[in-house]
Amino acid sequence: MRRLHAALAVLLAGSMLSLPGSALAQERTVKITGFGAKSGVVRVFGINSEAAMKAAADQINKTGGVTLGDGTKAKFTVEFLDDRCNAEEGISVVRRIASTDAFVAVGPTCSNVAESLFGILQKKVGDASDSGLQFPIIADVAAKGGLAKISEWAFRNVPSEFEMYKSLIAWIRKEHPNLKTMYGGVEKDFAHSNATYGVMKGQAEGAGLKVLGTSEWLLNDTTFSTQVRDMKRANADIVAISAHPFTTCGVLKEMARQGVKPKLLIGLTSSSSVETLQGCAKQAEGIIIPTSFAPVTPEAKLAAEQVAKFGGSADLHSAAAYEIMFILKDVIESQKIMAKPDTVKADRNKMRAGLAALKETKGLLGKVGRTADREAIKPYLYVHAKDGSWQVLYKPTL
Amino acid sequence: MDLLDLIDAVQSVADGVLFGATYALLGIGFTLIFGVMHKINLSYAAASVGAAYASLLVMSVVQAPAVLVFVAAAVAGGVIGGLVYLVGFKFIPLANPLATLMSTVGLLLLIDEIIVHTTAGVPLNYPALFSDVIIEVGPFGLRGDLMFVFALGCACMTLLLLLLYRTRLGLATRAVSQQPTASLLCGISTTRVNVLTFVITGVVGGIAGAMTGAAIGMLSPLLSLPLTVKGLIVTVIGGLGSIPGAIIAGLIVGGLENAFQFFRGVSERDLYIMLLLFAFLVFRPGGIFAKSSGRD
Repeated sequence: MRRLHAALAVLLAGSMLSLPGSALAQERTVKITGFGAKSGVVRVFGINSEAAMKAAADQINKTGGVTLGDGTKAKFTVEFLDDRCNAEEGISVVRRIASTDAFVAVGPTCSNVAESLFGILQKKVGDASDSGLQFPIIADVAAKGGLAKISEWAFRNVPSEFEMYKSLIAWIRKEHPNLKTMYGGVEKDFAHSNATYGVMKGQAEGAGLKVLGTSEWLLNDTTFSTQVRDMKRANADIVAISAHPFTTCGVLKEMARQGVKPKLLIGLTSSSSVETLQGCAKQAEGIIIPTSFAPVTPEAKLAAEQVAKFGGSADLHSAAAYEIMFILKDVIESQKIMAKPDTVKADRNKMRAGLAALKETKGLLGKVGRTADREAIKPYLYVHAKDGSWQVLYKPTL
Repeated sequence: MDLLDLIDAVQSVADGVLFGATYALLGIGFTLIFGVMHKINLSYAAASVGAAYASLLVMSVVQAPAVLVFVAAAVAGGVIGGLVYLVGFKFIPLANPLATLMSTVGLLLLIDEIIVHTTAGVPLNYPALFSDVIIEVGPFGLRGDLMFVFALGCACMTLLLLLLYRTRLGLATRAVSQQPTASLLCGISTTRVNVLTFVITGVVGGIAGAMTGAAIGMLSPLLSLPLTVKGLIVTVIGGLGSIPGAIIAGLIVGGLENAFQFFRGVSERDLYIMLLLFAFLVFRPGGIFAKSSGRD
């Protein structure tokens, strides 16, 4: 009996000791939720963003994690939800995230989702008459120009395509003064392609290039012969294609068939990816695309390796997601975010204020400026397809 | 319109007609299944694209010539066709038309998502035969790969017609199509005929998927929806159940699509194709070869 009492006493003491002990030893975690397209034809964007966020979280955790407002250290965990590149689903996903104790979300992939989603956020901070969602969102991929202006709770870490194409066209004018004319091709039913073509065309005309015409097609078109024939007749020095990999490759293959050989080819930022090379490396040879990512710095090389380890590919979009995780770490630490269920509202306000206060962040290619309307000014370079890979052609800002 | 415009217009229509062979094959698949089972299989085009994707596995395993990829697509199409019957029709109450319609919608989405999840939605290069051949006819140039696609499409159609009208299986298929109960009483296994119809249309679909991939030079899950829509349009214009109608309608839709693209641009192109569909539904609901008394 005495033995039994002794054993019970030991067990009880052990359990009393172990409870607070395990509670103390339990590591705090901060879950960052990303969202974007993980199904449908743009699934690869979601896969890459998720891999980039996880790779960055892993890097941060390896170096000690993030310091919370009460001085405790926490590790990042990443959850990534699918919005199917659909505006309604994007809104639903964010409402679901906002109903938890999350204090920020990263996404979305598609500009049409971002446009609608930012519209349900409170327009101006502190406006009591506006019942919009008060939840900070920072976009990594959605690239259509000026989207963060929609709400003061919306932020982006995407490159300015306006600046990139302005610089590229100016560089082409300087390097190839003999090129006088341009012909455009645009995927008409894709918000990003359409908006960016407007930028390309505007910049070309502004720089003195004569735009001879534009061929249009749709994202899921199967023939491009008529459009390319128009292109052939125009016989322009430069052909600028604002389309995603599937139709970019379709058009490039048709151009090869019809013998359309412009002196210079320009592509859409999103096409500077492995998908284009998988689809039409031979026909894409020589195409020049501005991008905000290439593994040219030690940080960028490491990021590319890490993202690959997590099953993704580092490109200008997923690199932005990678950078965002480090931005969030800095803001959590500078704003002393507590990351506790009872401080959610305060944490969201702090996160928004912290993101809004940023004047500069550290990017993989160098310093990233922040504008008053919550957009990024990212360093960029020009790559071109050469021997089946993307190679750096020129580094204007490095 | 100057001479150059005229040449371009004719060239566009010619390209469209050649590419229309793929629409014709898809239309045949839709129409054959409808003819035999009186059901619309909305997953047909997605299955065709799936078969073309599956054929790329051959390329990934061995450095196979493009011809073998086409054969692999046909085989994969047959297998997928059989599976579609098993999943979407065999255990579904056939008396309820909505049940099978919805099951094929589900299969369309399922096949699409399987492709997307397997490939991450990334477009893949697809081999083409005679892609560097251009046959010059005066000011016109006929693409070798499209000519091949067209010739292959015609060969498939001929073989299919021979199968239907010169073999016992074809006879049984036509019997089940016209009088299922009487066929059953004559000892024809309707289940066997149904399965074989799905396998045969699957083979045709696989070839159509491969032809589409070869004509574009790429495969993407994006192809499923437009090919489904085009296949249905061709089936309606050709007349539900009419194989010659599907063939002619496929070529017409392909040609008109490019003609509308040339004259009215991409934003209006599909509008006119849809108007054509409505015109047929209103004025000639039985399709091209239907008797004019087909309407109430």
